[in-house]
Amino acid sequence: MRFGSWEYLVEVQRRTNADEKYRELAKDEHDSYTLVLEPEPAKGVERRIVVGFRVDGGEISEIWEGERPTDFTLSGPYGVWVDILVGRLGANAAFVMRKLKIRGNFLKLLKGADSTQRWLEILRTIPTEFEGVYARDNLPGREA
Amino acid sequence: MLAAVFRGAGDIDVVELPDPVPGPGEVLLQVKACGICGSDVGAYKTGMYEPGIVIGHEIAAEVLEVGPGVEGWAPGDRATVNGVIPCGRCYFCRHGRPSLCEEVLMPGVNMNGGMATRMKAPAGALHHIPESVDDHAACLIDPLANVLHGIRRSRFKPGDRALVLGGGPIGLLTVQCLKLAGARAVYLSEPSPPRRRAGGSVGADAVFDPLAENLYIRLDELTEGEGVDFVFECAGVPATLKEAPMLVRKGGQVVILGICEEPVESDFMTVVLNEVEILGSYCGPEEYPAAITYLARGQVNPQSVISHVIPLEDLVSKGFEALAAPMPEPLKVVVEMPAR
Repeated sequence: MRFGSWEYLVEVQRRTNADEKYRELAKDEHDSYTLVLEPEPAKGVERRIVVGFRVDGGEISEIWEGERPTDFTLSGPYGVWVDILVGRLGANAAFVMRKLKIRGNFLKLLKGADSTQRWLEILRTIPTEFEGVYARDNLPGREA
Repeated sequence: MLAAVFRGAGDIDVVELPDPVPGPGEVLLQVKACGICGSDVGAYKTGMYEPGIVIGHEIAAEVLEVGPGVEGWAPGDRATVNGVIPCGRCYFCRHGRPSLCEEVLMPGVNMNGGMATRMKAPAGALHHIPESVDDHAACLIDPLANVLHGIRRSRFKPGDRALVLGGGPIGLLTVQCLKLAGARAVYLSEPSPPRRRAGGSVGADAVFDPLAENLYIRLDELTEGEGVDFVFECAGVPATLKEAPMLVRKGGQVVILGICEEPVESDFMTVVLNEVEILGSYCGPEEYPAAITYLARGQVNPQSVISHVIPLEDLVSKGFEALAAPMPEPLKVVVEMPAR
């Protein structure tokens, strides 16, 4: 599945909501998120991708493409998102090192480190195709 | 005289009171018009003014009578009354901060104000209204002075970019003043469609609906990722106060002009990590002359801000009730006083 596509989002929602461990870690979370993947034309990533989702009590209750006002907006170059997803860069390290622009309650985001980490583990199980030079990092995926 | 008396939350009466008598150094004014301020509406909602006070501090008047010892004023002169009457003796007055005066008198807040056919005021608190400023426009001198005070207190300089949160009278005046001061771009965020339209008409470079748009994405696009140097918070509501430090660029400044009567949860971690400065600004007693000059020269458009002119008898129904609505339709409401 193409990273950031609607098909990918649907699979993210399905696998996340099937994960008991994530549900437990994120049971107190009720927040909406916008993720902005900025283009890198020099590396073959031509278009910006903007997706969003809402977490309610450990489940992704809604997904969407495009922008909405949300509790958190996280934006950064496509390659940074790839680095985070494949595990080369920790999510909290990306936040603190300003690899991503964070708009929203920073402390709340950091406090959700455990659920974020588990969520990334779930995402790594999805067969994922990246754009441009990042195709070298494509994830084969496996059943969660 | 007829006067609007504050009784408590949700309770303002227009009643007959004895005419005030000017004492030494005081002037008796025939009030022509008086604006309803956002803080008046806040008091109407929460009850924060002194009960029994005659409200009103955005005053356009004419001198009727001068008391003993008054110089420089004569019957027939047009005047407005400064919304801050400092003691001139306390620590803050002695250090050039009259808006922080510890013994401050504020017409319409802790002394009788101008939502009345007549009022008395110390002659030293009066400012002449020039011919080119009509009575309605003169009601904007006070809010314009507030805005100028906030901008002067900030680090704003020509070429900076700013986001204004809230498209009420203060927000719209802030947009105009920032443009006049040489802003590279001024953006306005406001949920009410009529107020967004007003924002466009006063020169905002882009106007956002925060209920439908992601401001962070819009600002990133418009500033090529640099962000805005300033956020001017002019709404005075928890949602915008909470969001303001996150909307300004790293190292930027948030200037708070809106008065919020509720506690606000804030993310001070972002304030620290992004080295955001937060600056409060209150009133603008020293900026009255500049505000008068701006209006006299036509540099600020009063018609863009004054949406309704009503008679005193409609003060509550068409003034306070309309302005206290969750998403009020009126912008600035000016109340015309009956000639008596």
